[in-house]
Amino acid sequence: MSDHVKSMLAGIDRRQFVVATLASGAVAVRPRLGFAQGAEPYRIGVLLPSTGTGANYSERPIKGLPLVAAEINQRGGFLGKHPIELIFRDDQTKPDVGAREARSMILNDKVKTIIGSWSSAVAMAVQEIVHEYKVLLLAATSNSSKIVNENYTPYAFLLGPNSQMQSSATVVAVARMIKEKGWKNYVTIGLDYEWGRDAQKVFVSELGQVSPETRLMREFWAKLGETDFTSYITAIMAMKPDFVFGAIAGKDNETFLQQAKPAGFFQRVAYPGVFLPVTELMQQRKTLPRGIIGLGRAPFFALMEYPLTRKYIALYQAKFGKDDWPDDFACMYFDSLYALEQIVTRTGSIETEAVRKAMTGATIETCRGNLAFRDCNNQLDCPSYLGAVVDTPDYPFPIFDPKSLIVVQGRDCWTPKTCDEVRKIQKPRA
Amino acid sequence: MSQKSLLSASLLAAARDRLDISIPVLLVLAVLFVLLPLIPGEFILVVGTEILILGLFALSFNLIHGFMGQISFGHAAFFGLGAYTTALILQPLTAAGGLGTITFLLAILAAVPVSALGALVVGYFCVRLTGIYFAMLSMAFGELIFYVVFSWYSFTKGDDGIQGLMPPPLLKSPVVYYYFTFVVVALAAALLWRITRSPFGYTLRLLRDNPARTAFLGIDVRRVMLVNFVLAGSFAGLAGALWGPFARSVSPTLLGWAQSGVPVFMSLIGGAGYFAGPLVGSIVYTGLNSYVTRFTIYWPLTIGLVILAMVLFLPGGLLSVVDGWLKAKRRGEP
Amino acid sequence: MSMDFGSFLIQLLSGLSRGMMLFLLSAGLSLIFGVMNILNFAHATLWLLGGYITFSLYTALATQFEPSLLLLVPAVLGSTAILFVVGWLLERFLIRRMYGRELPEQLLLTFALILIIGDLIKMIWGVQNRRIVLPIEAWPVFDSFINPYLFVIIGSGAVVATFLWWFLARTRIGKIVRAAVYSRDMVSALGIRIPTIYAMVFALGVAIAGFSAGVFLPIIPIGLGLDMDLIIQCFAVVVIGGFGSIAGTLVASLLVGIVYSFSVLIWPDGALAVIFVILVAVLIWRPYGLFGTEMRS
Repeated sequence: MSDHVKSMLAGIDRRQFVVATLASGAVAVRPRLGFAQGAEPYRIGVLLPSTGTGANYSERPIKGLPLVAAEINQRGGFLGKHPIELIFRDDQTKPDVGAREARSMILNDKVKTIIGSWSSAVAMAVQEIVHEYKVLLLAATSNSSKIVNENYTPYAFLLGPNSQMQSSATVVAVARMIKEKGWKNYVTIGLDYEWGRDAQKVFVSELGQVSPETRLMREFWAKLGETDFTSYITAIMAMKPDFVFGAIAGKDNETFLQQAKPAGFFQRVAYPGVFLPVTELMQQRKTLPRGIIGLGRAPFFALMEYPLTRKYIALYQAKFGKDDWPDDFACMYFDSLYALEQIVTRTGSIETEAVRKAMTGATIETCRGNLAFRDCNNQLDCPSYLGAVVDTPDYPFPIFDPKSLIVVQGRDCWTPKTCDEVRKIQKPRA
Repeated sequence: MSQKSLLSASLLAAARDRLDISIPVLLVLAVLFVLLPLIPGEFILVVGTEILILGLFALSFNLIHGFMGQISFGHAAFFGLGAYTTALILQPLTAAGGLGTITFLLAILAAVPVSALGALVVGYFCVRLTGIYFAMLSMAFGELIFYVVFSWYSFTKGDDGIQGLMPPPLLKSPVVYYYFTFVVVALAAALLWRITRSPFGYTLRLLRDNPARTAFLGIDVRRVMLVNFVLAGSFAGLAGALWGPFARSVSPTLLGWAQSGVPVFMSLIGGAGYFAGPLVGSIVYTGLNSYVTRFTIYWPLTIGLVILAMVLFLPGGLLSVVDGWLKAKRRGEP
Repeated sequence: MSMDFGSFLIQLLSGLSRGMMLFLLSAGLSLIFGVMNILNFAHATLWLLGGYITFSLYTALATQFEPSLLLLVPAVLGSTAILFVVGWLLERFLIRRMYGRELPEQLLLTFALILIIGDLIKMIWGVQNRRIVLPIEAWPVFDSFINPYLFVIIGSGAVVATFLWWFLARTRIGKIVRAAVYSRDMVSALGIRIPTIYAMVFALGVAIAGFSAGVFLPIIPIGLGLDMDLIIQCFAVVVIGGFGSIAGTLVASLLVGIVYSFSVLIWPDGALAVIFVILVAVLIWRPYGLFGTEMRS
C-alpha cells in the first residue's frame, strides 16, 4: 500500500505536466508536415491556469488533452483530414488576462474553438470575446449558471453540471437524509465569492421548498484563499446544528476538511454535499472523513459501464501509469474534444457556423453516456453524482459508495424549468 | 507670491535638462503609435490599445511617485473605480442596443469625477503621511475599496465582474478604437505635461526634494499633495474608463494590489525621473506580457528574470540609459 | 449571540492560534524591515518554499519511520536551515545591492523573486497541492471538541517570539544589530562587519518563514498562489504593530486574530474586512503603528 501510494505520487510527476504542456507544441507541429496540401488543421485553444490555485485542478486536463488529440490525429484528425493542433495558454485566473489570451489565440493562432476555463469569472470574460469573433467555447470546470442563462451566447457550451444544478442535486440527497435522520437545524458556510454565494442561495431556497420545516440557523462566509478556518469551525460546533452545507471549492475546500477533522467537526455534525472531484479523492485519500456525502461531476469509478470512460482511462494510464486516473475535469474536457469530433463528423464540415448549429440541441456520446445539449442555452443535460465516501479494494483512494450512489439527472434539477423562462432571463446580445 | 515665481524660475532651469529628453521621446512615440496599425494583423491593435491605456495609468501614478516623491500602492483602486463607473453606465445601454457615440463619451468622462472623489477621500488621510506609511495607507485603502467592489454583489456583480461592454458602432472596429484611445491618451498626456511644467508642478518637485523648505516658503504642503493625489486619481480613472469597452468586461482584479504594482513597474522600467518613462515602461511590460506567454509556460520566470536584470543593471530605468548616452555624446563633441 | 463560557474560551483559543499563525508568518518580515529597512514582498513566497521543502524532507523521512509529530521536528529544522542558507545567498547576491535604493525598487526586485521562486517551485514540485498527514485526534473539552494542534501552533509562536527577544536583547550579536539600526556608521567604526550582520539578519528572517511553514503544514495544505493570498496580511500586521517592532507585530497579530475570531460569530459578513479596517484605523490614529516610533522616512 505504501509503495502503491509512493508510486502514485511519482506518477503525477511534475515533469510529465511540463512535458505534456510542451509536447502540445509537438502534437501541433508533427501532423502539419505529414498531410497533403489543402488539409487545413483544426486549431483549438486550451485556456486553463497553470499558475496559482487553479493549476492543481487543471493539471490532468492539460496533461491528458494532447493524448486525446493524438488519438484523433491517428485517424487523420477531424473528417480524416484536419489534424488537431492544441494551443495551451495560462489565464492566470484573471479575467482580463483570459480575455487577452483568448484574443491572442483567435487572432494570432486562428483557433476555431477554445476549451476552458477554470474560473467562472474568466469564462464569462472569454465568452464576450468568443461571441464577438464567432469562435466556439467549450466550458466544463467553470460552471456558473450565468454562462448559460444571463450571459448566454450561442457560441458557448457547458459540458458539466452548472452551479445551480449542483446545488439542486445536493438538495435531493439532503432531503432524503433529513427524512431518514430527522435533522432539524443547519448552518451554511460558503466562500465569499460569486460561486459560493450562488451555490448557497440555491441550496437554501430549494431546501426551503422541499423541506420547509428545516431551519437555517446562520450563514458563515469565509474569504477566498482562507488558510485558517478554525474560528469558523469552533463557532459552528458551538451552535450544534444537525448538519452543515458547505459551498467551498478548490484548495480552500481541502484546507477546510483538513482543519475540520482534527477539530472533531465530523464527530459533531454531518457535512453533506461537499464537492469532491476525483482530484480531491486522490489527494486527500488519507484524511477524507469516511462517510461524508460528496458530489462529483464525472467520477470515472461510477461510469465504468460507458465505453468512453474506459477509453479515457486506457489512454490516460498508457501514458501516466496505472496509478493515476483522469479526474472529473479531465474526463469532461476529453468529452468536449470528442463531442467536437462527433459533431464535425455529423456535419461533414469544420466551418464554425455549421458546427455550432449542429451542436445546438445535439445528443453526443460522452463518458457519462449519451447526453443532449439543452436547445435554449447549450447546457449539457448531464447528471451530478452524490455518494458516501468509502474505502474500496479497487483503488488506492476512497470513492463514492456504489450502493448509495445518487445520480441526479440534469433535466430533473435545472432551473428555469422551461425554455421560455430561460429565454426570458437571457440578456439580448448585439 | 513673487517668492514662488522666483522659485519656479530657478527650478525650471534646473529641471529642464532632465525633462528635455522627454520631448523627443514623446514625439517619436507619437509617430510610432500613429503608424502602428500599418503592422498587419489585428492583435497588434489589441496590444497597442493596452499599452496606451496602461501607459496613461502609469503616467498618472508617476505624478505621485516621480514628481511628488511618494509611492501609492493602491493606485489601481482609482483605475478600477473609473472602469466600474463607465461599465455600470454602459452595460444596460449596450444591452438595450441604443448606445450612441455621445452617450459613450459622456460615460467615459463620468469616470473622472468618481475617481476624483475616491482619491479625495483616500488622499485626505494619505497626505498626512510620507514614505512607507503613505505607501501602506494607500495600499490599505486600495484593499478596502477592492473588498467593497468584490463583495457588493447587488451593485457591482461581485467577482463575476460586468460583461457585455462594447464601444458604440462608430468606434467598434479595433483600429478605430485604437485611434480613439490614442487621441484620449494623447490629450490626457498633454494635460499632464502642462501640469508638471506649471508652477504647481515645480512646487511638487520642490516638495519632493525638500519638504521642509517648501513649508518654510509658506506653501500648504498637505493641500498641494492632496490636489496632486486627486489629479493622479482622476487620470487613473480616465484610463480605467477606457479599459471596459476595450476588454469587453471588467472584474475586481482591476482594483487589486497586483494591479497596483503594474504602474510601479512601468514607471521604474521606463524611468520614473522622466515624464515619458512610464509610457516606455508600458511598452516593455505590456509587450512582454502579450507575447512571452505564447512561447513558454515559464512566463513568470522569464518576466521575473527580465525585471531582475532591469532593477540591477538599469537603476534609473531605460530612459536614463538613453539620457546618459546622449549626454556623454554631447560632452564628447567639442 | 449568547454563548456559554466554554464556547467563549474555545473561540478565544482559535483566535489566539490564528494570531500566532499571523505572527509566525510575519515575524521574519518585521525583523528584516526593522533592521535593514528592506520591504521583502517575496517573504510569503519564501515561506511557501519552506513549506515544500518541509514536505519533501518529511515525506523522505516517512518512508523510513512511522509518521508522527516527532518526525516533523527534523523536517522543520531542516527546512529552517535550508531557508537560512537561501536567505544568506539572496542577501549576498541580490538584496545587498538594494541598500539605499528606494522602496519601489525593492518592491520590483522582490516581486521579480516572487515570479522566479514561484516558477522554480512549479518546476521542482509541480502544480499539485501538498500536505502532511498527522494522526491528530480531537480533544473533548467543554461539551465540544478542539484540535490539539492549535497548542503546537501557539507554542511555536511563543518559542519564536521568545527566541527573537533573547537574540535581540541578550546576545552580543543582537545588541550589535540593534545598535546598527540607530547608527550604522558608528557600529562600523568599531570594526564590526556590518555586511555580515545584515546577511545574518536577512537569513534569520527567511529561516523563520521556513520554520513556520513547516509548523503549519499538518493543518494547511500548500499550493501555488498561496503566497499571494498571504503577503498582504503579513504587511498589514507588521504595519499595525509598528515597523521595526517585533513586539508590535506580536501584539498586532494576536489582536487581529482574536478580533477576527469573534467577528466570525458576531458579524460574519464583516469579518473579512476586519484586518483592513484595523489597519486603516491604526494608520490614521497612530501612523507609526501600535509600538512603532518614527525612525526613518
